[in-house]
This record gives sequence, structure tokens and C-alpha cells, in this order.
Amino acid sequence: MSDLRIIDIQKRYISAQAREENPFMLHPVRLAIREGEFFSLLGPSGCGKTTLLKLVAGLLEADGGELWVGDENLTNVPPESRRFAMVFQQSLLFPHKTIEDNVAFGLKMQKVGKQQRLKAAREMLEHVGLSGFGSRFPDELSGGQQQRVALARALVANPRVLLMDEPFSALDPGLRQEMRELLSRIQKEFRVTVLFVTHDRDEAFALSDRIAVMGEGKLQQVGSARELYERPETTTVASFLGLRNILGGVIENGHFASSDKIMEAAVHLPLSDGDYFMVIRPEAIKASENGQSGHARVRGVVQEMKYGRGIYSLIVKVRKQLLECVLTIAQAEKTAVGEPIDLFVDMKEVWFLKE
Amino acid sequence: MWRKSKPYLLLLPATGAIILLFFGGIFDGLLKSFGYFPAIGQTDLNLAAYERLLSSGAFWESLRLTLRVAALSSLLSALIGALVAIALFFLNDAMRTKSPKAWHRLFQLPLTIPHLVAGYIIVLLFMQSGFVSRILAAIGWIDDIADFPVLVNDPFGWGIIFTYAWKEAPFVSLMLYPVLSRIHGSWREVSRVFGAGNWPFIREVVMPVMMPAWTVATFIVFVFTFSAFEVPYLLGVTYPSVLPVYSYQLYTSGTLADRPEALAINMILAAMTILLGLVTYYFSKRWNVLKGWG
Repeated sequence: MSDLRIIDIQKRYISAQAREENPFMLHPVRLAIREGEFFSLLGPSGCGKTTLLKLVAGLLEADGGELWVGDENLTNVPPESRRFAMVFQQSLLFPHKTIEDNVAFGLKMQKVGKQQRLKAAREMLEHVGLSGFGSRFPDELSGGQQQRVALARALVANPRVLLMDEPFSALDPGLRQEMRELLSRIQKEFRVTVLFVTHDRDEAFALSDRIAVMGEGKLQQVGSARELYERPETTTVASFLGLRNILGGVIENGHFASSDKIMEAAVHLPLSDGDYFMVIRPEAIKASENGQSGHARVRGVVQEMKYGRGIYSLIVKVRKQLLECVLTIAQAEKTAVGEPIDLFVDMKEVWFLKE
Repeated sequence: MWRKSKPYLLLLPATGAIILLFFGGIFDGLLKSFGYFPAIGQTDLNLAAYERLLSSGAFWESLRLTLRVAALSSLLSALIGALVAIALFFLNDAMRTKSPKAWHRLFQLPLTIPHLVAGYIIVLLFMQSGFVSRILAAIGWIDDIADFPVLVNDPFGWGIIFTYAWKEAPFVSLMLYPVLSRIHGSWREVSRVFGAGNWPFIREVVMPVMMPAWTVATFIVFVFTFSAFEVPYLLGVTYPSVLPVYSYQLYTSGTLADRPEALAINMILAAMTILLGLVTYYFSKRWNVLKGWG
């Protein structure tokens, strides 16, 4: 098996200004990425995900730790000998080379014969839907097409690991969706191991087998999209994944009471007594029509209503706490901004964090 | 009407002076090279001066020397200039946080020195009784300064070539450097990830990118050294002399009869310069070197 193993890799940036008190540091990272897996590093800007990607690529020198692919130690192998490939935020095609020559660049560096590498380049261009574009130059292609070429250039070299640094962030939303579908299809077809960096939750959720959430130079949590969303381990992870309904409180005898007294309910999980944060996904809050068992009831005032792709997203103020919930169009039509609303929280769907 | 023609009218004195002095001079030279010389009663046009020139051994000898000096000077300065530019480029890459400006200034220095002064520097450094030979004699590399090869005022033209190489290499490198600085920093990363070390990167990316500017810079150096006067006049020998010096020698030889030949040489120099320009343009188009840099 050619799993990619990152063992305690770390990096400290020495600041140009020595006076700067908190230089950025990537804390030791330990990760094992399975062969053929689509693995994403998800986190806000400046959290160290691109640094980690460049350390894996060998473009940055690590201060410590090791990198293995299968039973080969790549820690001190220069990037040109790692047989990795990378797609960057910009396509970074060479403007003086034709599309075909750009795609065949990696194979040329591997000393593959001209006929063979151009044939492989043409075939790969066909895979990314650009057959017939081979003799053009990059400036004759649109942004999306250029990024497809960059993808073809990365895949044609048959890399052990494909590294991707926010490759679709410079594209418009429609094109981004198209590229995600293309990448997903091609990754499954070629069974290539992908290490993908993004700050876009939806992108990571849509593409990845597993995701590592990063924050402040540390790995916060690793898991599948569902695990992360439904079972976040920290409030930082929960907040980054867009979970804004986080209520501090106490569990006593299987009963949770929020510290701002807006909610009291029986807990369905076997948890010991103590201080907890309750994380409520917006989907777990419903507009109430009749009393339902197993649901906690709250009453608030609608602060904001936003329409988005077939559902309404509401911000409801319950005393000082703001709760986010999603309603169907039919439910939303019964209320308006400024009006009181009764909400039920499905206690089976909430998650507790002990911090 | 007035608003439309106003800029042209304002430019008229300048364009008039250029047309009169530059094209007028060339036209006058052309006429005189055809033997038109009313001062000595010659008003008919003929090719006698060209015929005499093309059948004289001195002309061919001079042309050979001129081509050799120009070719070697431009080749040397192109090579040194490219090496310096690439070195500066990698230096900049390696010292991203610090400014390599001091190096830039050092390489810009020769540009500020006039050709005549550069010629004198080469004389002082490389003549047999010059600085270099004295140092070599002092440290015992040569027994006597007379053992130092004749590099200044030599028939081959080494002194001229050295002067131009020293003077024009920074020109080439400073023509190339802005082009190289357009190379995306991330291209280096891309090429490394795809398996290219330093040399493949230079071969595959740096060289093609700088080729158009390099060709043009080398051409400018060639044309300049091909038709320059003062350095060969200072550092060359009396015979054979490069074409511009030969033309000057003929023009100032004392007999008016030699003047059409002197001007015919100038016309040949001008024609060759134009021809070289066209050849360079043709090749730069054919190599597609400017493709994709829109």
C-alpha cells in the first residue's frame, strides 16, 4: 500500500521583523492518507493548510518530522524527485508552450519520448474535455479551461500524490461546480491519492472521503464530512463548519440547562454531569405546530430571513441568544421579520461538547 | 481642422530637423557614393566607387575584421549578459526578503561609463605594460611583461572585443532582467513539483522566455559594434581597420577622389544593418518566441 504518512511535520516561520511576538508556527502534524483517498485540509486563511501542503510537496523545508509514501521515506527527497503533482490556485501554465506541451511537461522531465508523451497528453486532454485544444496557447483559453489543462498536466505524470491548493477558488461559482464534478469523476477513475486544500466547506464536503479541519497551525479534527458536521470535537471546529448555535450550560442528572436559561431539556446521550456546550445544527430546529415529545421548545423573535435555494434561513433572537434555523418555504410564509415564533429543537439531533 | 493638425504642426520643427539631418545626410551620402560631387565637377551618377571598393582587398579585409569583432563582441556580451541576468534572477529568488539592489547597481555601473573611457580602461588594464601584465609578472606567472599577449592594438581585435564585452554585457543583462522578473515565482515551484531541477527549468522556461529580448539585445549590440567608431579607432591597428575606421581613413586621406568610396562604405554599413534587422525580425516571428505573452 502506498499510503501517504505525515509524521510530526512542523514548521516555524522566522519573521523578517525579529520584534514580532507571535511568528506563525505549524504545530507537529500527524496524518495518514490512504492510497486512492480524497483527503481535504479545510480551514480559514492563515491556518497553515497551504504551508502543510508545500511541506508535503517539498517546496518548503520542514523543521522536523518525516514524510513517507508506502515504505519510502521522502523527508529529504527534493520536490523534483518525489513524483508528486500539484495544481495551484492559478493555472500557472507556461505561456510560451502549447497546451499539449504544457500537459506533457511532467513526462518530458521524466524523459518520456516525444511521441509517447504527446500521445498521453492528448488522451488526458480528452479526459478533461479539451480534445482539439492541444496546439493552442494558454492565453487562447478561458480561466476554467486553463485550470482543466493544469489538472491534465498534473494527472498525466501519473503522480503518487496529487496536491491541490485551492484550485477552483479563482473560478466563478458555476464553473467551480463543474470543475468539482470533473475532479470527482477523474479522481475515482484514476484512483489517485489527492491532498486538497480549501477554505470552502461545501467544496470539502462535496469532494472528500475524509477532511482535516485546521486552525491556528494545528490539526483540529479529522473525519468524514458527516462526522465533522454532526460530531464536532471543539467549538472551533463547530464554528468553522458554520454551526452558530452553540449554547453553554450544565448537564445534571441527564438534563441540560443553558446558562442563559433559554433552554432546558432531557439529554439523549449518556453524559456525565458537568459543564457542556450544546451544538444545535440549524436543521435540528423546526418551526412548531403541535407539541412533540423529545423536542425542546423555545420562543423568540425573527430577526432576519434569507432565501436560499428552496429554503429560508432564519435568525431568531431568543432573549440575548441568536439561533439560526432553516425553514421550508411553506413554514417561512407564516412568519415575518419582527414577529414572534415558536421553535422546537430535536434533542436527538443535538451534540454536546465538554470543554 | 486646426485641432486635428495642431499636434503635427507642433512636431514639425523636430521632425523637420530629423528628416533634414538624418535622412538628408543619408541621401547626401548616397548621392556622393554614386559619384555626385559638384564641387569637383562630377554630376553624373555611377557605381564606380562601389566597384572599386568591392574589388579592393583592403575592403574585404576590413569587412572580415568588422564582422569578426562585432560577432565575437555580441556573442561574448550576450553570453555574459545572460549569465548575469540569470544569476540576478536566482539571487532575487533566493534573497526574497533582502534586496539584492547592491548587485543591480554594481552591474549597472558599466552602463554609466562612456565607451571612450571604457576603451582607456581596457588599454590601462590589458596593454603589455598595463596593470594585469604587471600583476602577473609580479606574482611570477610570467617572466616579463613582454610575455603578456598583445591584447590591445592587436590585429585580431581582442582589445575592442573585451571593451565591448565589458561595456555591453550589462546592457544585455539589464534588457533581460525585466523580462525574467516577469517569470512567475510559482513557475519555479510548478516545474520543481513536475520534476524539473535548476537546469531543466532554465532550459524549458527561462531561456524561451528571455529569447526574444535576448535576440533583440544581441542584435542591438551587434549592429552597434558593427558600426561603432571610437573604440576600434582607439584600440585597433592601422591595418586592417574596421569599416567605420576605414571609411574615416579614406574620407580624411586628403584626396577628394577617395570620398565616394568612404561614403559607399557607410551606405554598405547602413544596408547591412537594415538587412540584419529584417533577418532578426523574421526569426523572432518564426520562433514564435513572443507567443503567449500578450
